Amino acid sequence: MGISRPALGLYLTATYPSVRHFIEVLNGVRGLVDFLEIGIPTGNPKYDGPIIRMTHRSAELKGLEAVKVINDYSKYSKAPVLMGYAADYIDSLNEVASVARSVNAVSVLFPDLLFDYPELIDKYVRVMEDSGLRPSFFISSKTPYKLVKRLSEYNPLFIYLGLYAATGIKLPIYVEQNVTTIRGIVGDTFLVVGFAVNSPDMVKSLIKAGADGVVVGTAFIQRMSNLESALSLLKWLRGGLP
Amino acid sequence: MAEGWSTMTNVPTHWYNIAVDLPKPLPPPIDPYEGESRIALLNRIMPSELLHQEFTALRYVPIPEEVRDIYARLGRPTPLRRARGLERLIGNGVKIYYKFEGALPGGSHKLNTAVPQVYYAFKDGAKEVATETGAGQWGLAVSIASALIGVKATIFMTKSSFMSKRQRVLFMRTYGATVYPSPSEVTKYGIEALKANPNHPGSLGLAISEAIDYTLQGEGRRYIPGSVLEFVLMHQTVIGQEAIEQIPEEPDLIVGCVGGGSNFAGLTYPFIGARLRGEGFERTRFLAVESKAAPKLTQGRYEYDFPDSGGLLPMIRMLTLGHNYVPPPSHAAGLRYHGAAPSLSLLVREGIVEARAYTQEEALEAGVLFARSEGIVPAPESSHAIRAVIDEARKMPKGSVILFNLSGHGLLDPDAYERVS
Ligand SMILES: Cc1ncc(COP(=O)(O)O)c(C=O)c1O
Repeated sequence: MGISRPALGLYLTATYPSVRHFIEVLNGVRGLVDFLEIGIPTGNPKYDGPIIRMTHRSAELKGLEAVKVINDYSKYSKAPVLMGYAADYIDSLNEVASVARSVNAVSVLFPDLLFDYPELIDKYVRVMEDSGLRPSFFISSKTPYKLVKRLSEYNPLFIYLGLYAATGIKLPIYVEQNVTTIRGIVGDTFLVVGFAVNSPDMVKSLIKAGADGVVVGTAFIQRMSNLESALSLLKWLRGGLP
Repeated sequence: MAEGWSTMTNVPTHWYNIAVDLPKPLPPPIDPYEGESRIALLNRIMPSELLHQEFTALRYVPIPEEVRDIYARLGRPTPLRRARGLERLIGNGVKIYYKFEGALPGGSHKLNTAVPQVYYAFKDGAKEVATETGAGQWGLAVSIASALIGVKATIFMTKSSFMSKRQRVLFMRTYGATVYPSPSEVTKYGIEALKANPNHPGSLGLAISEAIDYTLQGEGRRYIPGSVLEFVLMHQTVIGQEAIEQIPEEPDLIVGCVGGGSNFAGLTYPFIGARLRGEGFERTRFLAVESKAAPKLTQGRYEYDFPDSGGLLPMIRMLTLGHNYVPPPSHAAGLRYHGAAPSLSLLVREGIVEARAYTQEEALEAGVLFARSEGIVPAPESSHAIRAVIDEARKMPKGSVILFNLSGHGLLDPDAYERVS
């Protein structure tokens, strides 16, 4: 159970903008993406940028209920992953894991785990493994090398490097340099990168710099009111994969 | 590059980024839920290379040759000296070394980051830089760097200092800068503050908001910050890298004063980094000294807060007294700041850096002792570090070694010493 290399991933917030539309999008993206990240709608998506924050606010259902509208995410992509804020589930990691398992997700990614609950990393890994899931980790470009190395030793599904300060907002950062630096630390761990990805050139240079997978979120969501245009974005981005 | 008179051999070639060696990850800056994205705003106000440096994954960031050349012309490496007079005064055989950043032409460590920041603004095509200043040390450094690099400088200086530190205002103008007292009449934040309190003494947080607002009002302007942001601390690490080369023995204690954390980080981070990587300095203690007028390290909360009182910049996770905190006027204006840089806050929380606060009277008394025993009048900010050095030295066994950062001289702060001497 892993993700093929190189890969294009898509981030969606569950039941945004509505249950019906969310399912329609999932049906549409089948075959166009190699993995899916399904956001669990939360009231406090603090590490996300303005567009994805808006999707959390506007999702039709909230919390794990939103995720459960689909009973088998593996119909839509080989490696569906749930993404939630650990702050919401600090006392119920097991429950998230069992929901993930029940909808055939392969991991649960918590973007705030390292920043806010670094002392819970081992517990998180145990919960994932006990539930038949694999751990995955979110890091920023400034994550300590020793910790990045340690994460890679947990045999995670992937390590996700956030390229910018928040989703969807580009800054003049040499993201390729950061990807190459992190690649040098994680060995052959599957390295996913994302935040503000919006062109095949960007996909191409990120893969060249050492990423195995590239995730698109904000750029897709901005086009979601017109499914055709959103899907053609994915086809266009795939053109950046080698 | 100039030939003959400046050998570059001892000017460090890289800045050190401690983030990659910290015991825990640095939480990223975030946007508040209300209003426009502050993170997106950074694109419009800050030199681009600085934004990259704020998020770099490199442990060592190369210093451009042009910047190293200016460092050398301005007097880097700065001297590392033995405070033999102060040692005699304490008289218990403790050895005291200090790094003298006051030897730079601006009189403080601030040039170490003013030079690269103005350089990167210039590289971006900016014609003007805008910034805040407390005591005026930062404003003076920006004025000097701007004169050397060829851009205009506009400085918002906290009003209490603007009134009491006239010489610094005059010197900034000598270097060609425009200086406004903050709160000023040129930005909406200044006007609002004056409306609420016509006698507002100003605060660094407010001056930052004014400088940013001013940057947004015109073309070709860039905002550059004097402390707190991680790239500022990183630029200052030339101090500690030089000190590691210069000091003949391993310090038991390293001390610096803290406004936002840049001179403290500049001296200590190369040492702390080595320790975190298991490459020495296991027994060295690190002591950060703040002013009781702004005691964020000893009394602040660790939370996301704005670095500026107007809330224009992204929120950062730090030890803070709240961005609306207005410290009482103090002669150590450079320490009158509500928060401490995220990496320093984290190191204090982790117990790697100790913290202590002194009143300005306690600090200035120590400053006078230092002046009379070493011949250098310290900046009132640096006197806070000296106070801690004296108090600690008295408790330490013979032969112990202390290193501290004399972040600036106080030759333009006679008003501060008037009452204690
Ligand atoms: C001489 C001197 N020391 C220390 C400081 C405090 O700032 P920081 O903590 O960033 O070094 C200042 C700030 O203006 C200063 O002028």
